[in-house]
Amino acid sequence: MFADNWKISLRQVRRLLVLDIFGLSSLMMPGILSSLTGADGIFCLLFGMAGGCLLLLFMGANLKQMKESYYHYMVKTVGQFLADFFMVFYFLYFITLCGFVLYQAVTLVLSWMLPEGGFWWVGLLLVLLAAYGTARGIEGRARVYEILFWFLGAPLLVMLFLALQKVDTDQWAPIVYSNGGDILQGSLSFGVFLLPLTGILFLKPFCREGERLASCARTALISVALLDGVVYLVLLGVFGGNTMGVLKRPVITLMSMVNLPGGFFTRQDVVMISVWFFALFALLHTGVFQSSLILKELFHEPGVRWSLCAASGLAFLIALAFFRNDVLEEVYGVYQKWVALPGLAGIPLVLLLAGWIRHGNVRQKGEGGRD
Amino acid sequence: MAVQITQDFEENIRNFEELFSDCADIKKRRIRVGEHRGKECYIAYIEVSLSNVDWTDSAVGKFLKTLQGMPEGDLVGYVQQNVEGISDAQPFATIEEAAQGMLTGDTLVFLEGYGKALKIPDKGYPGRGVYETESEKVIRGSNEGFSESIKLNTALIRKRLRSPHVKVKESFAGRRTHTNVDLVYMKDLIYPEVLEEVERRLGEFEIDGTLDSGVIEQLAEKRKYSPFPQFQTTQRPDRAAMAILEGRIVLLSDNSPVALLLPATYNTFIQTSDDYYSRWEIASFTRALRYLASFLAMVFPGVYLAMTNFHTQILPTDLLLSLAAARQGVPFPAVVEVLLMEIAFELLREAGVRLPGANGNTIGIVGGLIIGQAAVDANIVSPIVVIVVALTALCSFAVPNEEFATAFRILKFMFIFLCGWLGFFGFLVGILGVLIHLSHLESFGIPYLSPFVGADLSGYQDERDTFLRLPLDFLKQRPVYAREGARTRLKIKGKEKQGNGKDTGAKEREGRK
Repeated sequence: MFADNWKISLRQVRRLLVLDIFGLSSLMMPGILSSLTGADGIFCLLFGMAGGCLLLLFMGANLKQMKESYYHYMVKTVGQFLADFFMVFYFLYFITLCGFVLYQAVTLVLSWMLPEGGFWWVGLLLVLLAAYGTARGIEGRARVYEILFWFLGAPLLVMLFLALQKVDTDQWAPIVYSNGGDILQGSLSFGVFLLPLTGILFLKPFCREGERLASCARTALISVALLDGVVYLVLLGVFGGNTMGVLKRPVITLMSMVNLPGGFFTRQDVVMISVWFFALFALLHTGVFQSSLILKELFHEPGVRWSLCAASGLAFLIALAFFRNDVLEEVYGVYQKWVALPGLAGIPLVLLLAGWIRHGNVRQKGEGGRD
Repeated sequence: MAVQITQDFEENIRNFEELFSDCADIKKRRIRVGEHRGKECYIAYIEVSLSNVDWTDSAVGKFLKTLQGMPEGDLVGYVQQNVEGISDAQPFATIEEAAQGMLTGDTLVFLEGYGKALKIPDKGYPGRGVYETESEKVIRGSNEGFSESIKLNTALIRKRLRSPHVKVKESFAGRRTHTNVDLVYMKDLIYPEVLEEVERRLGEFEIDGTLDSGVIEQLAEKRKYSPFPQFQTTQRPDRAAMAILEGRIVLLSDNSPVALLLPATYNTFIQTSDDYYSRWEIASFTRALRYLASFLAMVFPGVYLAMTNFHTQILPTDLLLSLAAARQGVPFPAVVEVLLMEIAFELLREAGVRLPGANGNTIGIVGGLIIGQAAVDANIVSPIVVIVVALTALCSFAVPNEEFATAFRILKFMFIFLCGWLGFFGFLVGILGVLIHLSHLESFGIPYLSPFVGADLSGYQDERDTFLRLPLDFLKQRPVYAREGARTRLKIKGKEKQGNGKDTGAKEREGRK
């Protein structure tokens, strides 16, 4: 049928990416940045955004050369062994991301919505929902977030607008105060939250205009960086750098402080948490999708059943491990910053380089043959 | 094996009577025709399907009278040249086909020397005629409703769409009922693949009887376990005509006043006929109300439970205290209280539907006022729960399509359970579950949530007729159901040069290619 083509539109991809990277970054970044750089955190966001754009440039160059799936492209470019190795690397990144996001989502629910609840039920329900959403293909997944986008975006913008009256602009000073090392650390931290964008490399076969994926991701990245910037400035203006560094999720605390005009509803935090709940779920959904897709490609599974079961089960176990052991969160932070970030940024570069060398060799051979 | 009708008049009659032996309702009669009454003719019909045998009134009477005034030698030639093919008069070559022709409610005529049987249409089966629809009431617009006769129903559509592009494809469903099923569509607007898919699905089953379009709907649905209907139903010919103009297909089944419209989406279920007859502000306001109603019909009791049991901090203190005061003395937990009231209400609704007219209304009054008040007085339920349940019911009544509203009524219980167990988290999980389910649902290739999703398929034009119904001159394009290149439905004269009325969806796609 004409609409049943298993392809998604660029608008769907853009909205999906915005939710993917906004949820976790707006929830965790303000705390991290304010403790590292205070008001200079805004520069970290700008540098991180620039780095992200550069990475997207490399990914875009790869996407242009890609004729089929990313895995096949890698096999063709760097050979079977390295391609498999890169796939395992991607899998490790996405599956741990799944587990971490699930852990964050469960913690959010248990802290703000269901203090009496337990990890098992909440985690299980979320992972089952993500598996159900993934089982029926990418189209349905993209549609969910295409619909949710403005339902979540509009109230968030309204709340941020209402929060402006609480902002004390004196708190935005001092500026250009932090040292270069802290700014670099902050930029790298923001870069870590942008890594889900690397998922677009796998999306080309599923997208109606695959060659424009990188520019679409760039729009999403700039939108999120701007939105994160606004959130950061509002939070900084309301709480100040010191208080924000102590708060675990300052943006949710802010939502509990903003009052709607009319004063009927006294607190909106429970309702507004749904914005981050859905955004985190979008990222969890993406993680489960990417992990099962990688497993499917690696093991040449015709369907997606076993890959999906394995990815969902692993995600749940990793989340459980995060929940049981606080140290793992720190270990994960180190892994993200020093292994995943350089690795995921490096792979597209390696592929470009290998492709360039290969093309050079082919051209040389061609010229040699003519001689 | 089919029995051929031959030149042997007596043998044909013997075969026919053998087929219809012990059928007291089938009337058979021999009549002599020709100016000298030299030839014989045999007529057979279902008792009530012939208006009368008075020569002056009925079609069969006039036909026989004509035959009685002609020379015997000219009879067969006359029938072949002047009767066959006029109106629904149809010749049959086998006894079985002839029998089937008679069972559609027409009269069958065997004429000596003719070698075929001839079907002459007359009054047909008794039917209701055209009446006002019971459901889908509108403030503005036609009140005609479909009836049980498929011929009448196709005529009601044809009356509104006087175009040769309107096609009626006839088929039969039910091995024993042999029910007429018509697919009505505008040939130059539909996607041929959709028509093929419909025909393929209709051919996928063989059932012994199809007594209503509901049977066809259930058998042809792709996702049978979804509470959401994938075919839209209507009893209104103007709604069906509107769907055909949008490039959709209408399925009519004999003996059913309910037409099926396909493809169907969430948006089409929320639309009503008078959305397009009323001014856009009124239409938009009521449309937005209906969307809100469809959402609240599903979640309102659940949200009430989540707010009062789990997240009381949302509510102002005064309201919270009055809620607590209202619940004082009620022995049940809030979930049980809500469930009791909801089940009681569903019982009242069911009883109201089954009881004859006036009694049905009485049940509403008895149930709503007397039982509700008594339950509150007896401290079985709190007044606020009565209000919540009543508002939820109002919301479900505001959804224009009964089958669609029922999906929300069923899901309401899931939300009561989830919110009673997990509070607002349960609500979010329920919303996600429903949303994921709906986003996977499709009706003949069209996403169920279209045009909120996949709006690029129509160049983002369909979004103008969703929560809001923009002024008609904004709706120049047919929705995505119509074939690309045939989407323009409105041209404002004098504005063509400015690019209005162009098929922008197709143009955009062309540009992208």
